[in-house]
Amino acid sequence: MHEMSLMSEIIKIVSEDARLHGFSKVDSIVVIVGDLSNVLPDALELAFFHFRKQGLGMLDENTEFEIIREVAKAKCQTCLFEFTPDYRMALCPKCMLPNCLLVSGETFRVESYEGSDEL
Amino acid sequence: MKIRLQEDVLKDQNLAAAFNRETFKKNHTLVINLMSSPGAGKTTLLEETIKALRNEFHIAVIEGDLATDLDAERLRSLGVKTVQINTVGGCHLDARMIAKTLPDFELDTIDILFIENIGNLVCPSGYDLGQDYKVVVLSVPEGNDKIPKYPVMFRRTDVTVINKIDLLPYVSFDLEEAQINLEEINPQAQLKALSAKTGEGMEEWINWIKDAYRQCTKP
Repeated sequence: MHEMSLMSEIIKIVSEDARLHGFSKVDSIVVIVGDLSNVLPDALELAFFHFRKQGLGMLDENTEFEIIREVAKAKCQTCLFEFTPDYRMALCPKCMLPNCLLVSGETFRVESYEGSDEL
Repeated sequence: MKIRLQEDVLKDQNLAAAFNRETFKKNHTLVINLMSSPGAGKTTLLEETIKALRNEFHIAVIEGDLATDLDAERLRSLGVKTVQINTVGGCHLDARMIAKTLPDFELDTIDILFIENIGNLVCPSGYDLGQDYKVVVLSVPEGNDKIPKYPVMFRRTDVTVINKIDLLPYVSFDLEEAQINLEEINPQAQLKALSAKTGEGMEEWINWIKDAYRQCTKP
């Protein structure tokens, strides 16, 4: 459980970029969390509310936070079948060969944010 | 105004990992990141590994624990330079913590650096430390379901060591099933079954490390 430190990293990344753009306030943050990224969306949200209350970076009480989930997808390198894997991420459910690569689900990134300069 | 940033949250971590990797490469140091759940026998495996390799190689260890330097003391008693990192509640080691310890070592004199991560099968899997190889240790009393239950960890490791095989007669652990489970998650992974306590299977593990060292120091 290290969502507190991950959330403070997100706020740091956004605040640094907002400063470069001359914003004084961050109105919203959108992040993408992959199902296989080992990041818990609920815990990340809780951390966000905590830091928003503290007014960390350029956050204030109206700053919004959105998490977009990225589903896990794997693709068989033998038969090219694409599927949502269970824990057997390398096993193709169609040809039953363990020859699949993940094509999505590991992403953890800041997608966008909205900044303003309304002070 | 909306800004499309599209920036990896672990960007700074990945930069630190790249710095570590570059530093290790420059000094021809093989680095192995050892992970497991608490109690799988990482430290005992390290002790026996060091005993088997210390006449041939200069070895050092970075030891991660939430608290105490009990493990570091065990390894220091073997005459190996060991730096303890206490994360005080932190659930994993990260590349910045590793980077901070590097000035404590004379890396150009060290052939192999082992990093013993925090006992945890979840969080350490997400952090690149700049190592050459990730190794996960699983002990047979933990049961066969550990591999399916923690697929992200086993997917991201190069070698799975099955430890404490001297206990196989007393527990319901099936080595063949472990091999199948691992292949369905990570077909490239190697499996080494051994007992650090009795020495069974240790030779294959030690030979793997020696091969890895030759690979990493190739010009």
